[in-house]
Amino acid sequence: MILVKQLYKNYGSNEVLKNISLEFMKGKVYGIVGENGAGKTTLFRCIAGLEDYKGEITSELKPLKNHLGLLLTEPFFFSKITGEEYIQLLCNARNRKVDSIKEKNIFDLPLNQYASTYSTGMKKKLAITAILLQENDYFILDEPFNGVDIQSNIILAELIHKLKQLNKIVLVSSHIFSTLSETCDEIHLIKKGEEVKTVPKAEFGNLEQEMKAVNIGNKIERLGLK
Amino acid sequence: MNAYFLLQYKLANRKLIELGINPLVGYVLGIAGFILISEYLYLKTEFAKYAVILVALTFLAKTSEINRNAFLLMVFGNKKSRVIRIIENLILCLPFSILLIYHTEFWESILLIVVSVLLASFSFNTNFNFTLPTPFYKRPFEFAVGFRNTFYIFPFAYLLTIIAISVNNLNLGIFALLLVFVVTFTFYLKPENEYYVWSFSTSSGRFLLGKLVTAARYSAFLALPPAIALCVFYPSEIATILMFLFLGFTFLWTIILAKYSAYPNEINLPEGILIAVCIYFPPLLLFLMPYFYIKSIRKLNAILK
Repeated sequence: MILVKQLYKNYGSNEVLKNISLEFMKGKVYGIVGENGAGKTTLFRCIAGLEDYKGEITSELKPLKNHLGLLLTEPFFFSKITGEEYIQLLCNARNRKVDSIKEKNIFDLPLNQYASTYSTGMKKKLAITAILLQENDYFILDEPFNGVDIQSNIILAELIHKLKQLNKIVLVSSHIFSTLSETCDEIHLIKKGEEVKTVPKAEFGNLEQEMKAVNIGNKIERLGLK
Repeated sequence: MNAYFLLQYKLANRKLIELGINPLVGYVLGIAGFILISEYLYLKTEFAKYAVILVALTFLAKTSEINRNAFLLMVFGNKKSRVIRIIENLILCLPFSILLIYHTEFWESILLIVVSVLLASFSFNTNFNFTLPTPFYKRPFEFAVGFRNTFYIFPFAYLLTIIAISVNNLNLGIFALLLVFVVTFTFYLKPENEYYVWSFSTSSGRFLLGKLVTAARYSAFLALPPAIALCVFYPSEIATILMFLFLGFTFLWTIILAKYSAYPNEINLPEGILIAVCIYFPPLLLFLMPYFYIKSIRKLNAILK
């Protein structure tokens, strides 16, 4: 279990997260949804311990960060490190011994090439492979589907289902609603740093319709496209 | 176009300020350093002009990087971006040309200017995609990445060791040994992205210990060949050679500790001055290493908790 209680985060006078309280249970997948700048990534960084915050974040396994696989929106790679060395580095960091990295290369990445030469999607797949091989219990996947090809997105969705089966806690953010409705048990909607709604799986359809109505409105008509 | 050069000037100033150096002082120090190093080079070797041209061309090649020039072309268009590149290259080659003229190497100076103007018309990828294999893959990243950036220096250092032995010049051999260490120091100068520290599920102390052990193992791999060769050919000087080897390891550890004592910022002027003082009086390392260690632990605790 991961418990977030009355979480506040400020950058100077800018309040990015306001009174967020969330509970994440084992064996469940949670979607975090919100517009750009709503505070999703900041929330993830707070849970990971990469940011200072006000409030409380606790977990069953302690310290939380040592059991967390964190996929950043834009993973950083050194200029001359190969894909295989990147995986080795991240596994070394968690004292995990990987017998055959090549065998576990399910996305067929060119592991002998420098990771910096990979495309956006390949970089994301490499980062995902590395955090999976770390054998974490908690996962934060910040926009895992972005830039990844359709074939790999299918694999990724199956991987998330597998993690759920293995009793892991998975938090996913995505700007593509279908990817969340397919994988998540619950979606938390964040707006301007506040949690405005928690939606169970049965109500995902309503949420999508509601989001369409609120966000599209008459914006398309206003453009006056000819 | 003026705005572009003004922006470059501002960026250079920002870089110096980040390093903790007043920009004006930085420029004066840069010019003084350039004069001192080049004069030392001319004093030591008759091939200095080739080294000057090589260094100038290395700088010029950087401005021909393909993505950078695609950006200039996109923003300024064909004609203006060409003019910008010619001016940039001339500014870069100016100090080297003046230096060559000062040493009455007029033809070389003219050649350098012509090449710099010609190079402004070319763009090429300065990062080759060829993956250089290294023996450091088990414990990435510092040595794997650093070795790939500086690999050409090691055969040069080993060649110098062979020359030192063949001309019976131990000082040159010690210089080659220290060159290997100085190159490994550069592997630890830039702080890594915080994700690569955060990922470690270990205490700050164990994290640092791991870094020091890896650095010792891998630097030994690179430094032992010249050290052993010197010990074999100068058995009466083993104590001196081992002392320099020990100093190499100690300075490497100090630089690693200095890096994390400033983390996530770069090592800046105060740390640099302290290390420079130790070069003149190495026993000070006995105090400096624990000082950097304690500071590093404090900085790393914020991330590794």
